[in-house]
Amino acid sequence: MSEMWINMGPQHPMTHGLWNLRVRIDGELVLDVDPEMGYLHRGIEKISEDRHYNEVVTLMDRTCYVAGLCWEHLYILAAEKALHIEPPERAEYLRVLCDEFQRIGSHVMWYAAFVQDIGLMTPFLYGMRDRDLVLDLFQSYTGARMTYEYMRVGGVRNDLPPGFTGHARKVLDWLTERFREYDQLCVGSTIFHKRCDGLGVLKGPEAIAHGVTGPMLRAAGVRRDLRKDRPYAAYDRLEFDMAIADGADVTARYLVRMEEMRQSVRILRQVLDWLDAHPGPVLADRLPRWLGAPYAPVGAEGYLLKRKYPKGIGFAAIEEPHGEAAAYIVNEGGEHPYRVKFRSPVFANLSAAKTYLAGCHVADIPPIMGSVDVCVGEVDR
Amino acid sequence: MQPQDVTKVFAPKLGARLLGVDPFEGTAGRVRFERTAALEAFRAARDDLGFHHLSMVGGIDWIDHREVLYVLWSDAARQYLMLSTDVPASDPHVESASSVWPSANWHEREAWEMVDITFDHHPDLRHLLTPDGYAFHPLLRSFKLHEPEELEVKTRHV
Amino acid sequence: MGRLSAPLPSAPKIAPVPSGPVTDARGAELPIVQAPAVPFLEIEAVRAKEFVPAAKEALTALIAEQGQQKLIRPVFNWAGRNSLFPLHWGLACCAIEFAAAFGARWDAERFGVLPRSSPRQCDLMIVNGTVTWKVAHKLVTLYEQIPEPKWVIAMGNCATGGGPFRTAYSVVPGVDKLVPVDVYIAGCPPRPEAMLDGILRLEKLIQERKE
Repeated sequence: MSEMWINMGPQHPMTHGLWNLRVRIDGELVLDVDPEMGYLHRGIEKISEDRHYNEVVTLMDRTCYVAGLCWEHLYILAAEKALHIEPPERAEYLRVLCDEFQRIGSHVMWYAAFVQDIGLMTPFLYGMRDRDLVLDLFQSYTGARMTYEYMRVGGVRNDLPPGFTGHARKVLDWLTERFREYDQLCVGSTIFHKRCDGLGVLKGPEAIAHGVTGPMLRAAGVRRDLRKDRPYAAYDRLEFDMAIADGADVTARYLVRMEEMRQSVRILRQVLDWLDAHPGPVLADRLPRWLGAPYAPVGAEGYLLKRKYPKGIGFAAIEEPHGEAAAYIVNEGGEHPYRVKFRSPVFANLSAAKTYLAGCHVADIPPIMGSVDVCVGEVDR
Repeated sequence: MQPQDVTKVFAPKLGARLLGVDPFEGTAGRVRFERTAALEAFRAARDDLGFHHLSMVGGIDWIDHREVLYVLWSDAARQYLMLSTDVPASDPHVESASSVWPSANWHEREAWEMVDITFDHHPDLRHLLTPDGYAFHPLLRSFKLHEPEELEVKTRHV
Repeated sequence: MGRLSAPLPSAPKIAPVPSGPVTDARGAELPIVQAPAVPFLEIEAVRAKEFVPAAKEALTALIAEQGQQKLIRPVFNWAGRNSLFPLHWGLACCAIEFAAAFGARWDAERFGVLPRSSPRQCDLMIVNGTVTWKVAHKLVTLYEQIPEPKWVIAMGNCATGGGPFRTAYSVVPGVDKLVPVDVYIAGCPPRPEAMLDGILRLEKLIQERKE
């Protein structure tokens, strides 16, 4: 019996982020795990209480940096409910465009990091190359590769540049070919199956009890996708399928994410067609002037505080690439939010670590944690 | 599911300790109850109404009291439900939901360290996001942040 | 550098040849094998004895004149700046651009930059992301584990001065509060080209290193 607690992290090539996985091992067998978070806790919820509503958007990009636009969308949906503001329809479709391209970008980034945990190196390079194409698209209309600050309360900041939809369609065609290549490299390989089949099993009832959502839940066969069950933005007007697998292991999660990328391509083609056919405004008119950038009023500070806006509470939930993310914003009538509370999908997925890691070997930890798709910025906030 | 359906299930179980079921846009309602009825409320929500998924547990500081918010989801009804209870700031205790939903474990750890709400019978109430031994509860309104200019600190390593 | 750090080992002692017959415990006589006149080790010591001082004297004279500045130091600088091995770790969003810089589009390895997982094998620590007080101790431990000579690049606004999170209660306002920083790269996040530019500036700094 040589039981001991070892630290995998915060500096470890497996972690893909700043967290510590403490494992209690007996030789090579994992007996217990205790994830240690908080190394990237930046107090985003506290800082948001000092920011105007539109200024919080900059913090949301950095909350989950691989899926920044999705978190912006989540916050903006909740803020619009709290402030009783409705966006125009074109803004809703633009937000879906951002969300779905972000889903492809996040899943391709997951793929590039995951294959390194399996032991492959070439698909990492392919993944980064394809993700850069998506980031180029983002840069063409938001101005940035990663921290976009694109959405505003009441809509989005600006419309698409001319010629965007044609270029986006070419990127989607290219990506469809590449997804087939990714499958050839991974599930077409016996070594991948020998390594990942039956690994890290997390069955449906246990997953629900531990609050696991997203691709990990759908890989266990549970049919839950907030874009279908509780549609937001323009998802109720779009056609797509839910990606479900029933192995509940690492291979199943891989298959679910690949299928989600294909469904995202399908959604994006419909969105691009709609955007071409329906021009219109992208920001609601008659917005309050104190929302913050770009509406920060010029003048004395005290002028703002005398305004009283109707109170409200906003709750929103979206299907982020990692799972179900939710936001609860309390608006007490001032120009800063009173309390901003976020629910991170990876927070819950990691809290269930003991259920899918107990009983495996130390060498199995990187593939399993890779399949969980950890993004520490949103766990720690 | 409408707030009336929720009241029909909660009222017999909680009696006078049910303070109200308010409509909340986009959800099945917002149930307010006294903190002594917490465990019965959780069991009613999970077993009788089918809300098996606990999405989050949040703490909100209202200066003289603190609010504990539970957000639940039901796959059958495809809806959210909010549960909300108030704890006084002088005695911030409430029963832990981790015996009913294991996912409450980490959420309650975070609510404790941020807003100082103690969850009774929680299996493992310790720091999660803040360092071990951190003496403050940051998301209380009485905890103020510094201005950027006041932050020129010196540490002994450099 | 260019100087022997330890004195030459002296020749080992050899036992003298016994004069009378040698018997074992039962009284049988053992044959005496004559050892060679000069043992092998002593032969090597003789050769080393003559060569090494002469070589030492010649090189010391050469290096003392100008080699330290013109011969040894530039070679070491060239080797060091063209093989900077950063620590394979990422803190926050800048780590994603750090990873992108190692893709095929902004190939960082063409500059000799290769991330290593163990700090013992690195000479560069790129702090790419927000530093919190919780991780500060670990960051300084990792920095101290990197052997000399070592450099630190503060990548991004958070590592430079706390970034958008400067006022937060848990954030260190800049990694230069913890470790000495050589190059600051601004940006939130800096593009991969900006990170490569920072590495090239560090290379220029190393090129001008005098000691």
